[in-house]
Amino acid sequence: MDRSAIRVPYVALPLRAARVKKELMAAIEKVVDHGVYILGPEVEDFEHRFAHYCGTRYAVGVGDGTSALILTLKGLGVGPGDEVITAPNSFVASASSAALLGATPRFVDVRREDMNMDPSLLERAISPRTKAIVPVHLAGHPADMEPILKIGERYGIPIVEDAAQAVGTSYHGKRAGSLGRAGCFSLHPLKNLHAIGDAGVIVTDDEGLYRWLLKARNHGLRNRDEVEFWSPNTRLDTLQAAVLTVMFGHLDEWIRERREVAEHFRAGLRDVVRVPEEAPGCFHTYQTFVVEAERRDDLLAHLRRRGVDAKVHYPLAIHMQPAARTLGHQPDDFPVTRELADRIVSLPIYGEMTSEQRGTVIDGVRTFYGA
Amino acid sequence: MKVPYNYLDRQFGPAETESIIDDLRALVGTGEFTIGPPVLEFERRLSAMIGVKHAIGTNTGTDALILALKALGVGPGDEVITQVNTFYATAGAIVAVGARPVFVDVDDQYAIDARLIEATITPRTKALLPVHWAGLPPDMPAIMDLARRRSLYVVEDACPATGAAYAGQAAGSFGDLAAFSMHPLKPLHVWGDGGALVTDDDHHARWLRLYRNHGMVNRDEIEMWGVNQRLQTLQAVVANRVLDRVGGWVDRRIEIAGRLDRGLADVRQVRVPPRPPERRNAFQLYIVRCERRDELLKYLAAENVEAKVHYPIPLHLQPAARELGYRRGDFPVAEAQAQDIVTLPGHQYLTNAEVDYMIDRVRRFYRR
Repeated sequence: MDRSAIRVPYVALPLRAARVKKELMAAIEKVVDHGVYILGPEVEDFEHRFAHYCGTRYAVGVGDGTSALILTLKGLGVGPGDEVITAPNSFVASASSAALLGATPRFVDVRREDMNMDPSLLERAISPRTKAIVPVHLAGHPADMEPILKIGERYGIPIVEDAAQAVGTSYHGKRAGSLGRAGCFSLHPLKNLHAIGDAGVIVTDDEGLYRWLLKARNHGLRNRDEVEFWSPNTRLDTLQAAVLTVMFGHLDEWIRERREVAEHFRAGLRDVVRVPEEAPGCFHTYQTFVVEAERRDDLLAHLRRRGVDAKVHYPLAIHMQPAARTLGHQPDDFPVTRELADRIVSLPIYGEMTSEQRGTVIDGVRTFYGA
Repeated sequence: MKVPYNYLDRQFGPAETESIIDDLRALVGTGEFTIGPPVLEFERRLSAMIGVKHAIGTNTGTDALILALKALGVGPGDEVITQVNTFYATAGAIVAVGARPVFVDVDDQYAIDARLIEATITPRTKALLPVHWAGLPPDMPAIMDLARRRSLYVVEDACPATGAAYAGQAAGSFGDLAAFSMHPLKPLHVWGDGGALVTDDDHHARWLRLYRNHGMVNRDEIEMWGVNQRLQTLQAVVANRVLDRVGGWVDRRIEIAGRLDRGLADVRQVRVPPRPPERRNAFQLYIVRCERRDELLKYLAAENVEAKVHYPIPLHLQPAARELGYRRGDFPVAEAQAQDIVTLPGHQYLTNAEVDYMIDRVRRFYRR
């Protein structure tokens, strides 16, 4: 079979949507029928399901993943003059959430094996101004939470999990988001559990934080007429909540499918690139399938010529972004992150991928290395 | 008869609703959910409708206000002047960028009293934030004059006022920037939260497009720390349909307001505000002042007229405003209005019979 004819796009949202379209449209029509578009019953229903899924007492739906981080940090008192520690190889929101509150993002380099915050480097990044620690569960693999939580406890600094890429991920039997003081999720269209637009959710066991978040996402309103504190509006859209509840019904299946594709890739590529491994006790949901490869840019070009749309998450680390200029970092401040930035490739991964497409991906990488 | 305040269940006919659902179904098929083509179409059409160069869709009207202030560099230490009787988000947006809201009392049309603004200007004042409150443009020529004379920015809070105009010029086209809300009960609205900014300034427009989308110049490069406050593509689909209709809806609201005005004109206990002809009021809210307000509200509720109050507590008396140091008595007009304003249903789906029923019930209340 001529595999050059088979294209593998990076994502397949229309395929995913096609599988649930009927259900989605029915859920949307239900909202249109009742017309309660703002904080309608679907929002609370989704929050209940999501909290139950994560094993937390509370969930609060918000407008997007970035707002989830911003609101949570704000709720924990982060503001001007404070520092927030996170990983430099993440999506920008892990750091911009702190910067937008007037705090300074501080970075801790990552470990090669899981590309997540290196707990052994965390302590030296803590200062008297550290107000929160935001480990990221990058690509769907959990950060090594136990040592991070211990350090947080020792210093009395809350841990906020950036679980934007990690719905369903777990660490020693506990779901991502339920390990720290709060967990922040993005439900953007490219996420395992996703809306058809922007959406986010925060989970926590902390009742005080929960009650504050309910008001903070809705103008600081205590009731229709009374404003307890000034706050913006970043509510989860009722329509998106209805969509999410439909998607939720398929999440386990989708994660299972993704893990199957991942297993396929791992077996087929282990001898040519460094493939992601699940650390003991960890459950990886493969939000992205990131390999570490020699001659990365050439590999990318080779894959693209063969119809495989691979990407890089992310070629420019946060500390080297133009936005981070004022933080005064040098590339080598975080040597592992720097090295990885030149070596990582995200291969397309989704359950809807046909076995021919999987073959095209694997062959694409193997032929590049002459294997 | 029942005269509902919320009209969402009367919105569109079944056929039109079905055709919007079809558009949504088509969107689901494309998978283009993040700043998809409907968002760009909406932005083009809104800017044409307001008569400005750029429109930028945002997640909410509050976001639009926050982004407008950010784009102008308003931040900690600055003051922004606005009116005291508006929705909380106006002040919330000012606080969100770290600035301090400075309130001004209102006139007999519930609009910012333009004559009182200048006295509140200090060296820290950075911008004026007049509101097209309830759909009515304030005295924009006077406000723009003052801003030019004192070198201040003007951000129009046009959140409730799509379709409003002053001397033929659209609300939202006066200031450096203007913010619109598309909350379900606004004239231009979506099926959830949505907002937009408009401006003639290319530099502001570029900055806003970056800032609302994580500061991303492209997928990999972040020029500045930015937020995610994009207009949902799903909602842009709805907004595009509403754009076809909003002019007609506002016309109908104006007609209903006129009918209410005439029907209540000779009721001594009801004060209808002046209606200067140069202002096209979009009547997002139809507000009159009524004696024995709370009793009237109870009576109307019992008669199935869903009247409301926007709002019973002015901003300076909110718990959130404690640290601003205002006191009861600081804004006598707004405070007095808060005691006797009533918002009657005035939406485009009301029939003349429903409007007349409302008029009749108000008249009956005062005849008892």
